[in-house]
Amino acid sequence: MRSPSYSVLPARGLRAVFVLALTAGLATAVPAAHAVPAATPASTVAAKPYMGWSSWSMQSSKYPGLNPDGDYSYLTEANVLKQTDALAAKLKNFGYEYVNIDAGWWRDNAWKPEFDQYARQTADPVRFPHGMKAVADHIHAKGLKAGIYLPVGLEKEAYNNGNSPIWNAPGCTTADIVYPDLRTTNGWDSAYKLDFSRPCAEKYIDSQAQAIADWGYDFLKFDGVGPGSFKSGDQYNNVADVAAWQKAIAATGRPIHLELSWSLDIGHVDDWKKYSNGWRVDTDVECYCNTLVSWENSVNDRWDDTPGWTRHAGPGGWNDLDSLDVGNGEMDGLTKAERQSYATLWAIAKSPLYTGDDLTKLDDYGVKLLTNREVIAVNQGNTPPARPVTPSDAQQVWAAKNPDGTYTVALFNLADAPAAVTADFSTLGFTGKAAVRDLWNHENLGTYQNKITEALPAHGSRLFTVTPRGSALTTTGYEAESTTNTLAGNASVAGCSACSGGNKVGNLYLGGKLTFNNVVVDKPGTYLVKVAYVSGDARSADVSANGGGATSHKFPSTGDWGTVETVSVPVSLKAGANTITFDSANWYAPDIDRIDVPKSPR
Amino acid sequence: MEHVPSRRGFLALAAATGALASLPAFTATAAPQRPDSLAESGTSRNTLWWQAPADEHSMIEQGLPVGNGRLGALASNDSGRELLLVTDATMWTGGLNDTLDADGQFPYGRTDFGSFTLLARLTVDLPDHDLSAVSGYRRTLDLDRGVVTTSYVRSGVTYRRELFASRPDDVIVLHLTQSGGGRYFGTLTLEGTHGEDSSRAESFAGSFPNGLRYGAAVAAYGSGGSVEVTGSQVAFSGCRELTVVVSGGTNYAPDAAADYRDPSLDPEALARTKVRAAARHSADTLLHTHVADHRDLFGRFGLSLGTSTPEQRALDTWERIQARARDGAPDPELEAAYLQFGRYLMVSGSRRSLPLGLQGLWLDGNDPDWMGDYHTDINIQMNYWMADRAGLSSCFDALTDYCLAQLPSWTDLTRRLFNDSRNRYRNSSGKNAGWTVAISTNPYGGGGWWWHPAGNAWLCNTLFEHYEFTGSRSHLERIYPLLKGACEFWEARLLTTTLPGTSQDMLIADSDWSPEQGPLDAKGITYAQELVWALFGNYCVASAELKKDSGYSGTIAALRQKLYLPRVSPTTGWLEEWMSPDNLGETTHRHLSPLVGLFPGDRIRPDGSTPKDIVDGATALLTARGMESFGWANAWRSLCWARLKNADNAYQLIVNNLRPSTGGSNGTAPNLFDIYQVEQGRGIFQIDANFGTPAAMSEMLLYSRPGHLELLPALPDAWAASGSVTGAAARGGFVVDLRWQDGRPTEACIRSGGGRTTTVAFGGTSRKVSLSPGQSVTLKDFAR
Repeated sequence: MRSPSYSVLPARGLRAVFVLALTAGLATAVPAAHAVPAATPASTVAAKPYMGWSSWSMQSSKYPGLNPDGDYSYLTEANVLKQTDALAAKLKNFGYEYVNIDAGWWRDNAWKPEFDQYARQTADPVRFPHGMKAVADHIHAKGLKAGIYLPVGLEKEAYNNGNSPIWNAPGCTTADIVYPDLRTTNGWDSAYKLDFSRPCAEKYIDSQAQAIADWGYDFLKFDGVGPGSFKSGDQYNNVADVAAWQKAIAATGRPIHLELSWSLDIGHVDDWKKYSNGWRVDTDVECYCNTLVSWENSVNDRWDDTPGWTRHAGPGGWNDLDSLDVGNGEMDGLTKAERQSYATLWAIAKSPLYTGDDLTKLDDYGVKLLTNREVIAVNQGNTPPARPVTPSDAQQVWAAKNPDGTYTVALFNLADAPAAVTADFSTLGFTGKAAVRDLWNHENLGTYQNKITEALPAHGSRLFTVTPRGSALTTTGYEAESTTNTLAGNASVAGCSACSGGNKVGNLYLGGKLTFNNVVVDKPGTYLVKVAYVSGDARSADVSANGGGATSHKFPSTGDWGTVETVSVPVSLKAGANTITFDSANWYAPDIDRIDVPKSPR
Repeated sequence: MEHVPSRRGFLALAAATGALASLPAFTATAAPQRPDSLAESGTSRNTLWWQAPADEHSMIEQGLPVGNGRLGALASNDSGRELLLVTDATMWTGGLNDTLDADGQFPYGRTDFGSFTLLARLTVDLPDHDLSAVSGYRRTLDLDRGVVTTSYVRSGVTYRRELFASRPDDVIVLHLTQSGGGRYFGTLTLEGTHGEDSSRAESFAGSFPNGLRYGAAVAAYGSGGSVEVTGSQVAFSGCRELTVVVSGGTNYAPDAAADYRDPSLDPEALARTKVRAAARHSADTLLHTHVADHRDLFGRFGLSLGTSTPEQRALDTWERIQARARDGAPDPELEAAYLQFGRYLMVSGSRRSLPLGLQGLWLDGNDPDWMGDYHTDINIQMNYWMADRAGLSSCFDALTDYCLAQLPSWTDLTRRLFNDSRNRYRNSSGKNAGWTVAISTNPYGGGGWWWHPAGNAWLCNTLFEHYEFTGSRSHLERIYPLLKGACEFWEARLLTTTLPGTSQDMLIADSDWSPEQGPLDAKGITYAQELVWALFGNYCVASAELKKDSGYSGTIAALRQKLYLPRVSPTTGWLEEWMSPDNLGETTHRHLSPLVGLFPGDRIRPDGSTPKDIVDGATALLTARGMESFGWANAWRSLCWARLKNADNAYQLIVNNLRPSTGGSNGTAPNLFDIYQVEQGRGIFQIDANFGTPAAMSEMLLYSRPGHLELLPALPDAWAASGSVTGAAARGGFVVDLRWQDGRPTEACIRSGGGRTTTVAFGGTSRKVSLSPGQSVTLKDFAR
């Protein structure tokens, strides 16, 4: 949650600052933090991305009638039960399971918080007249699971001058769980930071965990977590809070899914994987406007912000792209094409699929989007998440290779006008024929040679399963560090343990340039050149051949400065020897490991 | 003094000159001629194609144009929702606009001067054919047939849509078919764009405060299923195929005496009559009738600039435009298709109605920049430079008709208002005669923005060139009053001055502005001197040819002798733009006004007949103007370089105009419309470059003036390997078919369209050709 009353700066401003603080790749390169196998705590929790409904999108919206008693007032027992019933009736059969209560359940309509004698959040009697357990009971009675929400730290209003006792912790009061200087923490600085060097702090977490376990909750959204939530530095490092929660949940004996929010710092991804079941990779998807969301603020951010996280998703812990608000075009504030693209990215990224829509008012198209079994299977099946196989340009292709040898392939047109988008099979690693199935339209489109091109509307998408019927792609590799290449500007060779040949070319900034000389092909044409690169953030390079006109391509983030990923870039080559240049122009380009040039053109 | 010409006076003028008022633009027409059979198949080189439809908010860059010369549309071609933005060339607000502003110039607003605006919107919604649900989408524009085709597959059924604007049936036709057992379900809506009552599904009517009435109508018929009116829409259900026919227009009449209206015409009723008449025929019959008519005109000119690679041919048109700029390799077939696209726009936009303005017949809204009007200081002239050069002489008539229909009003305005004491451009002598125009003109006899004294000469010279190309005596008779009136204007306006250091009396133009830069009150600007010099010469030829006014012709010839002609500045080395050695304007200004004697005039020739210092000064000025302008300014530069036989520069400027326009930048849009960036991030359509660039391409292949014809004067390396052009008119009254190989003509067929003798030159050699009208001769064996 990002409550506007707490938010100091808009997301975009902060992100810009973050980018500007970065310097050239090599300077900030950190050793490859090798991916650890995803933790699988507690039985089957988060074996697959969870599916369900969350209250926040409607709470946060200015859509007429949703919050008649003030901001966020949508959250009431009556509304939660109404949505529970609708979820059970319409979506449960398709795998939607969780009903998640978001922020405010312990606050009145003036947003004033209420705590029990032990400094724990307690239900607002107007919103939830029968308490939180009654709601969970109703949800369970429908065969569904119940989710609840807490912010990080000890809320300031709960401190009570340090006088409140901690439940089941003789001798501990609120004075014993925080730092003596009452330093604040979380994304809104709304709480005092817990001092886990003091045993009482963990007891406080235990007491909160026991409360929600006693009420019967199966899921906790833990919000304002740092580093992340637009905060960094020791004061906002909440790794210990998260670890304490994992331990506390285990101690209750009740499986409770622990989901972290928001914009978590990818530099701590190993912590998140170790202690939680999912993490929000980005800011709120909601627009805090007259609809639930809008394309520009901030659905479309996810195409750029997700790729760095992709490889960290897996059973036990998933990349959370936030609510999937595609169920009612008018309330969502999106076109049909935008809604399909939204659902497509969430599905292929293996994000949890929880809608924030009014489930009593789904339109026909929304029902189709939320209940397409083939698309849900992409998200829930035993397949890896997709990531971009082309640069993050206006038209882009994402793909995943599935265990059965097929590929999940998504085409996206993020431009404001219709455009053709092509998936070249060579970007997937094979050449020749392939059978293509259209998942959204439940239709076998037939067999295609080398590529499939479709016209996509503005902000549109297609989602296919591609079954190769051709042969493996043969390519010729060229190392960036080869002495036959030409480096210009500050460009230099640097060691890189994850890179082929152990080296890459970095310092491609402000005019830095790398030219591969003598790239030989037999036939003229457009080649999909696979570029292996390292880039801790999304960066652009101008790519050209033989000194001709350059095309700027944005390379998606690889998540850190020690991981190599690949995308394929179309380059027009002539028969015989060619040069291929990566030019940082007037900004910062990714570090280049190598290129692989197919034997045949597109 | 009688200010407004009476109808009697106007008719007397028409009778005296042989100029006939044209029929109203939107009028009942005779039954179309139907072809017996149809020779099908256009060549693929003249078929443009795209893999995505237009965005409804980017129609001017992405919509595909159709038009029958009067009635036009931009089409989105979206599978789920076809949108047509329908225009009629006469759909103009505004009026005579004869109350000058305080500065003695014309008001220039959308109500007083007026603006070209949309006629109607037609949408066809097919809810099950959402673009996200169809595969294999493609749309094509077949320039040879004049047909836009959209096709895609939905659930195994191939759906196909053909769109064309038929001149014989005077309707736009949208024909939806399928193969594979599909059915069409959806609605269609015809509505106005000016707040008209749209409660009736089949037609609407409206009128502007200026009294112009307009209306449009639609008819739809299917096979199988049902088509019925439901409220303000037409709903169709279960149709195996569907034909939608649209027509519409206004009661505009090109007749000053009738105040440019036909009061008896009910446009809505006429539109309903037209769509009903067309709907009696099958869509195939309508198509074949249209294709035969279109092909008859479009097929009169052929062009090959060489062969493109298979890789280039595999790209769609927009990819190809991008690849041309990115890879830098010539794409001769694309470049030839760009010229043919210009011809397509002219066939579609300039037949039997008003001429092509700043955007031709195509709009994406009701407030086009500069009103979509007629700009007389380059733009309308450039629109028609291509017509004769590229086999579309008959399309030129719209310009002639327009000028003749405006002449009574232009004459009246000049007489009443030009010497207004507030007008800084008035004749300081106090004398006043003949006619001239403002920089902008509308179809109601009115001017907009500032007076443009030399505009009359440039219009006349353009009209006269059409006579030179065609040898048409009847055309010369029609334009004679325009020429004579312009001469009378200049006879009254020229001032006598004695050049410093000489005793020689010279005639110079009174205070004026060299378009569109520098001092506002410069006397003897090169632009005016050159245009008037050419005008006077043309008038004398016309007088002699028509055996009229020999005495007055002598007067004009004498004036011409005394016209000051520009010198080369000792300071800059450039041909002077003002009678000053100093550069009083922007070095790289878009206009080439002082080079109007190089092109379109040809007083300045690089063949030794013009003093070398003048040719050098013109070349130096052209060089200084630079190679990086935009659209029409690049096209004009290219034409001038072609005249100077600099093939590399002429070609580079064409390549510059072919750069893809992205984010509103200067260049070529996905639909090949030329885009001019008016401000960062906002580009607008300016059709002149779509005609000026083809004119330059033609001029590189063939230069002509009466009595002289030069083959391949500026052939660039990119086109040199092999090529051909057929049907290119040459001044002097000839039509040329030409083939070349390795940069050298291999065969040139010269046909007389009325011309009798000319020299035909290539390189350093020339031959004399004498023919009778209708005869032809084929020349071979050209030496290097």
